Amino acid sequence: MIGPVILYTLLALGAVGVCMALPRRGVSPQIIGAVIAAAAGGLVIVALSLKAAPAIPNVYFYIFSVISLGAALRVITHPRPVYAALYFILTVLSTAGMFVILGAEFLAFALIIVYAGAILITYLFVIMLATQAPTGGDTEILPEYDAVSREPIAATLAGFVLLGVLTTLMFRGLPNLPPPGKPPEETLIVRMPGKVETALRNAGLMKAGEKLDRNEQTGAPAIDLAAGVVRIVDKDGVPRAIERKDWPAGMKPANIEGVGFSLLADHPGAIEIAGVILLMAMLGAVVLARKQVELDEEAKARHAAKLSAETEGV
Amino acid sequence: MLASWMLAQSDYPIPMTNLTLGHYLFVAAAMFAIGLIGFLTRRNLIIMFLCTELMFQAAGIALVAFSRYHLNHTGETFVIFVLTVAAAEAAMALALVVLLFRRRESLSAEEWGQMKG
Repeated sequence: MIGPVILYTLLALGAVGVCMALPRRGVSPQIIGAVIAAAAGGLVIVALSLKAAPAIPNVYFYIFSVISLGAALRVITHPRPVYAALYFILTVLSTAGMFVILGAEFLAFALIIVYAGAILITYLFVIMLATQAPTGGDTEILPEYDAVSREPIAATLAGFVLLGVLTTLMFRGLPNLPPPGKPPEETLIVRMPGKVETALRNAGLMKAGEKLDRNEQTGAPAIDLAAGVVRIVDKDGVPRAIERKDWPAGMKPANIEGVGFSLLADHPGAIEIAGVILLMAMLGAVVLARKQVELDEEAKARHAAKLSAETEGV
Repeated sequence: MLASWMLAQSDYPIPMTNLTLGHYLFVAAAMFAIGLIGFLTRRNLIIMFLCTELMFQAAGIALVAFSRYHLNHTGETFVIFVLTVAAAEAAMALALVVLLFRRRESLSAEEWGQMKG
């Protein structure tokens, strides 16, 4: 889709930017690196959009993708763990925005509640619990393992080679994708007679004494998608059909109903396994947290040296 | 009123073109690469796990984009399971990190270098 020369040049530029933005001691060109990386990422998306011209995504996609990638870059480049976690929350929020554009409202809110609300708060708690108390009055000094990154050039190279391979294969494969199928909405309403009935009543298409016609043997509601009619009977058993063009908007299943059917009707086994995984994680965390550990010899020696240095200094 | 081009592709049942899908897949791939680079370069155990969450997030974007393209809810269902695994992983990993910190009073991954085979 994008020419390989342009794509690889931009990716190389991005790699240089990310490499410069990683934390290191001394003069650190973090801002310049971040600008270069952002420009490269932005140009790839712009180049994609120029190819896609009439079918560009929603304008909010650009806003959310810039925020999420920028915040993701900041997660890995910020030397202080607390800020990294807060930037990760920003990534999660903008990803949730992208999910809304993609029509996955339920997941967008689940992501905010579970990720930003629960998982990230756990991270913040652990960061606060497991941070060395600053020695002396100097709170600005960072531990060495936060201030200096390990092998920035090799790691960036590895990451961007992976990105290059992924994008090349993706762009080669995209034109061969099968065309999108039919929306599942229509087939879902057959499984939701209660919703259909409520929607028809609210729209005034169904009077007080009337109810959905049901098949006498199977009890299935008379929602005939092929013919495009919903059949109802009044209290004397006189049938009447409501045609597709009169169907109210409230009959259309929402995203959460689709996800619910997919989750509970199509994947009931997987949800049981997910429950077991969560239970095991809970038990494991309880067992691990109860365990008493002592400082090992090396750390004890370091501790003693630090204490004696402090007392000497007084 | 919003112009129609601003709302292009946002109306749910309208099919999405494969070029539009490409935008989302690029964002997902870029976020995965950023997470991978972070996992390789950062030396703080907590940030390393944060970077794995970043990679989970990228996988989630790709799954939801494909689910939107095929107008099928299975991809969204999978993201719920990804979320579950991420939550379980966070609980276990952070409990381990706290244990390791109590033992060495340091979050550096290199403190545990002798554990490598």
